[in-house]
Amino acid sequence: MAEKGWKDILPVKELEAQWVTRVQFGARKLALYDTPSGIYASLALCNHGGADLCDGYFDGHVIECPLHQGAFDVRDGKPVCAPATRMMKTFETRVENGMVQIMM
Amino acid sequence: MTDAIVTPLTQALAEGKLSREELKSFLQRSNGPALRRLIAWIAVLALTTTLVALSWDSWLIWPAMLLQGVVLVHHFSLQHECVHYTVFRTRWLNDVVGNICGFIIMVPHKHFRYEHCDHHTYTQLVGDDPELVAMPQNLWQYVFYLSAIPYWRAKFTELFRHVAGRLTSEEERFIPKVERAAVFREARIMLAGYVLILAAMAASGNWALLWFWVIPMILGEPVMRFIRMTEHVGRPTVPQMHKNTRTNLVSFPWRFLCWNMNYHAEHHYVSSVPFHALPRLHEKLKDHIHVEPGGYLGAHRDILRQLLGRRL
Repeated sequence: MAEKGWKDILPVKELEAQWVTRVQFGARKLALYDTPSGIYASLALCNHGGADLCDGYFDGHVIECPLHQGAFDVRDGKPVCAPATRMMKTFETRVENGMVQIMM
Repeated sequence: MTDAIVTPLTQALAEGKLSREELKSFLQRSNGPALRRLIAWIAVLALTTTLVALSWDSWLIWPAMLLQGVVLVHHFSLQHECVHYTVFRTRWLNDVVGNICGFIIMVPHKHFRYEHCDHHTYTQLVGDDPELVAMPQNLWQYVFYLSAIPYWRAKFTELFRHVAGRLTSEEERFIPKVERAAVFREARIMLAGYVLILAAMAASGNWALLWFWVIPMILGEPVMRFIRMTEHVGRPTVPQMHKNTRTNLVSFPWRFLCWNMNYHAEHHYVSSVPFHALPRLHEKLKDHIHVEPGGYLGAHRDILRQLLGRRL
């Protein structure tokens, strides 16, 4: 198993401004969020029905699943509304040398 | 890691029916369109209420109550939009308005939300879609469904079942355990509200709400059943969205009342799109979906044609 550490994910300039960006990192599908308070990251698939959150509506700090409109706060993964009831997996994020990095 | 499930939206994006930039533009939300429409909505409701009041001592009260009922039952359309959070950008406003609509038409909001999720996951799949309206097998079944008698029977049974703290096996599938207490609580609050209103009417001797609300609802619900049938009934019971759902082209008053939900196939393709953007989405997807140009009547002609096995 690879050691936990900061991993380069995407150049900052490739982020979709004030929206969610889909990133494939190895076998993982990740979602990066450009928010008013910084960049956040989570797994890309909704833990309710498995739809791709990157096709959903994003507003402020809330990502909404495109299939059922369950929603999560991207800062901590907290479910915001039904049918989402479980925490979304999020990752610690930082920007280094123009790259978005996440701790994983 | 598993792949994302295939949804109508992912298919539309993969097949180039919709680009990501277009999707983003359709998804944008705002409170303005909903607030403007809500003001018009309240004005229409005030108008039909006034008509009932003005025709109080005349036979004209019956058509006036029907008109009032047609507006009242369309609170379902507004509630449906609120279930999807596609009315207001401010999320809690969708919850507040959705719950008010639900109280008016006796559709508990949280339960509807969970039920409706499975409707979108399993649209038109027999045994899985909890909102599937079965294709009538004969004219009697068709008329009986439109009477709304089976609808009201199901709604009252559902309400009392939840008040009693019970779920059907189908409901157990789509309501997670952590939410069941909340579903029971909302049913109890709703029933308590109705009992309170009934008691207040009895205590005051003023039964006007029966004529402004209850009887109009009974008169109007067949119209909503008529409209609900046009969404999926008679379409193939297959998972392909371009086959299993109808978009009905209807005139402005009906589009206003149903909050553009006549663009039903578009809604199923991208259920996050707010009501006010659905006509634009229609222009983008109309060549990829099933469109009924004859509107609600055209859809029923199609249903009856299948039912009776001949041209109408």
